[in-house]
Amino acid sequence: MDKVVETRDLHKHFGPIRAVDGLNLLVQQGEIFGLLGPNGSGKTTLIRLLIGLLQPTSGEVRTLGQTIPNKDVLAQIGYMTQASALYEDLTVRENIAFFAQMCGSHDPKWVSEAIDLVDLQDRSRSLVRTLSGGLRQRTSLACSLAHRPRLLLLDEPTVGVDPQLRATFWSYFRRLADQGVTLVVSSHVMDEAERCDRLGFMRQGKLLAEGSAQDLRNKAGTRTLEEAFLQFTEQGTGGGQS
Amino acid sequence: MNSRRIIILAQRVMRQVMRDRRTVGLLIIGPLLVLTLGAILFRAEQSPIPIGVVNEDQGLSSPISGNLQLGQRITDELTASETFDVTLLDREDWEGNLRDGTVQGVIIFPEDFSAKFQEDRQMTLDLRLEGSNPTRSMSIIGRVTEAGMKTLAELVGSIFAIPGSSQSSEGENKLPVEIQASYLYAGEQFDLMDFVAPVYIAILAMFFVFLLACVSFLRERSLGTMERLLATPTNRVEVVLGYMLGLGLFALIQVAVILFYTVWVLKIHYLGSLWLLFLVITLLAVVGVTLGILASAFARNEFQVVQFIPIIIIPQILLGGTFWAVSEMPSYLQPFAYIMPVYYANQALRDVMLKGWGLAEIWPNLVILVGIAFVLILLGSLMMRREVA
Repeated sequence: MDKVVETRDLHKHFGPIRAVDGLNLLVQQGEIFGLLGPNGSGKTTLIRLLIGLLQPTSGEVRTLGQTIPNKDVLAQIGYMTQASALYEDLTVRENIAFFAQMCGSHDPKWVSEAIDLVDLQDRSRSLVRTLSGGLRQRTSLACSLAHRPRLLLLDEPTVGVDPQLRATFWSYFRRLADQGVTLVVSSHVMDEAERCDRLGFMRQGKLLAEGSAQDLRNKAGTRTLEEAFLQFTEQGTGGGQS
Repeated sequence: MNSRRIIILAQRVMRQVMRDRRTVGLLIIGPLLVLTLGAILFRAEQSPIPIGVVNEDQGLSSPISGNLQLGQRITDELTASETFDVTLLDREDWEGNLRDGTVQGVIIFPEDFSAKFQEDRQMTLDLRLEGSNPTRSMSIIGRVTEAGMKTLAELVGSIFAIPGSSQSSEGENKLPVEIQASYLYAGEQFDLMDFVAPVYIAILAMFFVFLLACVSFLRERSLGTMERLLATPTNRVEVVLGYMLGLGLFALIQVAVILFYTVWVLKIHYLGSLWLLFLVITLLAVVGVTLGILASAFARNEFQVVQFIPIIIIPQILLGGTFWAVSEMPSYLQPFAYIMPVYYANQALRDVMLKGWGLAEIWPNLVILVGIAFVLILLGSLMMRREVA
């Protein structure tokens, strides 16, 4: 299997804050990798480092076999930001087509497919300004995949999304993974973690543990992931009281 | 109505403003800057205006008056005044000197100047002006008249009595000094609006695209689309150029409308080519877009964009040679004019509209404008923050 994302001793410091602190990460092709951690644990910073939006303080990032920063490799990556970053005065379709074209995909069929995938056929001509939060979130997802990326980086894609749509989103993700797309999904919601192939627990810029949900529970000797996370946190901070 | 709630609201508003230290600073510094510049310019000690004198006056010898050299006397008077910096010229040279700006005006005393005065009891001064700056022309005319009057007044006090100088004799208010001014460029049919119009157009064109670029670029940052854009294979220079092109189109339309309106509706007098005017103004508008993009890097919200007006736009209006000629500004202010894009556009526009010059003469100004745009594109790209605001 191909290594799609690989980081070596990655550091990103903002002044005294170590947002990413010596992180080694490996994501294989075709898997859904969940980045789990509380707010401020460094998930967004890590994702930005993976595509070169931020320069690492030290360490190395390789994405899709290329050392980052590399502008060309970005055409094969889809990135969905935390806020649904869209042009308010363009329609759904115009937004999706714009970002696809910026990545070099000019085929209107691909745009239609992305619209189909997120079930926005009825609203494709609506201005984003008029959309509800859930519809925006779906548009935003479509914007990150209309150019058929090999790697999708999704930064808390299901924040503010109702449970029903959240389930729908995860079915989209699974469908993409089945097509061979690699997904890195960050979240601070534990029940989403169960749906990932592998997970990384993040806290204070460090990767506390990684593996499948089952592995992590076994390793921690707990019944739920949440308990496992707390267990690893205590070990990680050197508390060790049990 | 609940006064307590109003006070709580007011407190919240004040807290927000206070937290935005730059706003507080600019609220004070902005007006101070504009006022200071205005005061300096309005009160500036005018540097002497260079004028030329062609004195061919043969003078007049009469038994009563002795030797009268009227041309020489006026020249001395002009030299003594602090307003002028007088150069003596030959008949062949004066026009060239006027054209290349060595002198701003030329007074010509013909051979029979003194004799004619004796005959007509009326002094007619032949004044040739450069003509592309109405306030300067007016001030030269005024000061020259003054010098003529003063010379005559001194004559009254001297042994020479002006023939028929008793005020009542002719019963009219006609001044004994008359100025016959002719202009190298433009001319009398040009009114003040004609002189101000070129730069007026330029400033308007620049101002609106500046705001448009600044605000739309800022939105791109605050809505997060900039981050998304930079996560595609594009780079920052491309984004800036894309904006320049996109907004440049609007600038083009705006410039066309403004020009049409001033030329055909306001019926502004102009010489030179309309296409050239269009080119210069469009170039300045493009500079405005790049300046707006650069400025947006320093703004966190739309309100802060508006604060740039007194800091970036008004100094350009004051110092860019719009109302005050740069050469007449205090020397320590002049260097600022040379970094202002409006200055170069002003020069080019005035040269075209008032002097009828063509591309062959104004190209250095255009090259500098292109250069400024280039530098601003680079700076704008460098300043573009990668992170979301």
